Amino acid sequence: MKISRGQVITAILCLIPFGLMVFNYARNNLTANPIQAATLQTGHTAINLLVLSLACTPIRNIFGLNSFLLIRKVLGLFAFFYAALHFLIFIVFDFEFNLFWILDEIRLKPFIQIGLAALILLIPLSVTSIPRIQRKMGRTWETLHKLVYFVALLVIFHYLLATKGDISRPILYAGITLFLLLLRIFPFNKLNFTQKSSIFLSIDSFLSHKGLK
Amino acid sequence: MNNPISESEITPEALYLSRRRFMRNALSLSAASLLAGSCSSTPKSVLPTATVDATPPALSKFQDEFGNSVTSYENIISYTNYYEFSGDKSRPTELAKDLITYPWSVQVDGYVNNPQSFSIDQIRSSFEQEERIFRMRCVEGWSMVIPWIGFPLSRILDIVEPTSEAKYVRFETMLDPEQMPGQKSGAFPWPYIEGLRLDEARHDLAILATGLYGKNLTPQNGAPIRLVIPWKYGFKSIKSIVKISLVSEMPVSLWMALSPNEYGFYANVNPNVPHPRWTQASEQRIGQGGRIDTLMFNGYEDAVAGLYEGMDLSINF
Repeated sequence: MKISRGQVITAILCLIPFGLMVFNYARNNLTANPIQAATLQTGHTAINLLVLSLACTPIRNIFGLNSFLLIRKVLGLFAFFYAALHFLIFIVFDFEFNLFWILDEIRLKPFIQIGLAALILLIPLSVTSIPRIQRKMGRTWETLHKLVYFVALLVIFHYLLATKGDISRPILYAGITLFLLLLRIFPFNKLNFTQKSSIFLSIDSFLSHKGLK
Repeated sequence: MNNPISESEITPEALYLSRRRFMRNALSLSAASLLAGSCSSTPKSVLPTATVDATPPALSKFQDEFGNSVTSYENIISYTNYYEFSGDKSRPTELAKDLITYPWSVQVDGYVNNPQSFSIDQIRSSFEQEERIFRMRCVEGWSMVIPWIGFPLSRILDIVEPTSEAKYVRFETMLDPEQMPGQKSGAFPWPYIEGLRLDEARHDLAILATGLYGKNLTPQNGAPIRLVIPWKYGFKSIKSIVKISLVSEMPVSLWMALSPNEYGFYANVNPNVPHPRWTQASEQRIGQGGRIDTLMFNGYEDAVAGLYEGMDLSINF
């Protein structure tokens, strides 16, 4: 399996929030309440990456950058990574594997149920990202991965309900997500600026370069 | 965690000041009501009375009545909810550092016989400042144990003399978007408002705090004067107060106005009344590590449950 240059760059960038978090924690610099800070940071990163992954297809369609389909996979997988981390912090560090507490939390809080549903739905999407499985699935793969639109809506709703006070950020994310979904629908999916500039071609060939095994 | 205050310097100074204050009270106050207000009851725990020449601790005690250790000074001043500055917990420390907290005055008005404005100097000198170690439980599910310096709110109420129409006390934070950048956000109905029923306000555990750890309050902790109601969620303990009004109708707090299904008027710490976002059954004690059960009325049940006799606390949350 060859990895493109764009994928390597994306993976490195995706690891930065995790690296910073671990670094700050090690330096005792993750606020006085590291569990709450880590929960928020992993949650925000997961949402950011999921929304970015939704931007890849329109970027490919509009600017003809096929390299973004490979990047999309990396973004999606890291979104799952951070979402899983977000959930594990909740289970392991915040509620200390105490099933009595955890089940009560899940039972009483719709926003947790919604977030959990989104995480569970991301599992089949992540597993089927393995190229061999992806190839075997053929058209079914595309159909299955349309699930991500629904997951994104769940995640935004989870974010909205989880936000205290000023909800302008989740509203902004909802707007961006709806915009990205709209770009997939006729007539917006016919937008194409490919011919207008050759710069896109050179970007695409740079990101598509597969020098790594 | 280090305590950044040197243990040798604070207490003697505080002790010295508290004695001076007391003497100044006795000498300079002419109004009989003021004298009665400031001297009638003996303070709960006065600043250290141990011998001054021995190296005394910065605090008279390092634990609350249950044996919980006080939270480190560093954690108390670095992790705050102060939406007038930022929605982030760490940022108010930096953003609030230049807040002008002197001169400062607190206007007390409404249904009272003696409405008046108290300067912060007057407040510090007229009211015996006591050390009170209280648990602080944030609605977000974290808590601290904080050694406040302050005095019972009832002392100030005794001076202004609420009339019979007064049923509630309404508190207001300074409104100054130039100094408080968070107030430029249209997401909140500024200024910050909080309220108490008059009998709650008169309870001995309801204090106005001017300091913590033997020092004046830092801006991010609500300088120069704030409310501390230890049996209620932290957001009731309004910061940087400029106005206290005795009113007849239940005040609508900022959080009630913003999200009435989440934040009630009473906001008593109650592990049995769930919040849609955070667990109220248990909490993370800052700096300690490990989740602990949340206690009814934050552990002050014996002292305050009587205020709510016959009330359904799941309705009056």
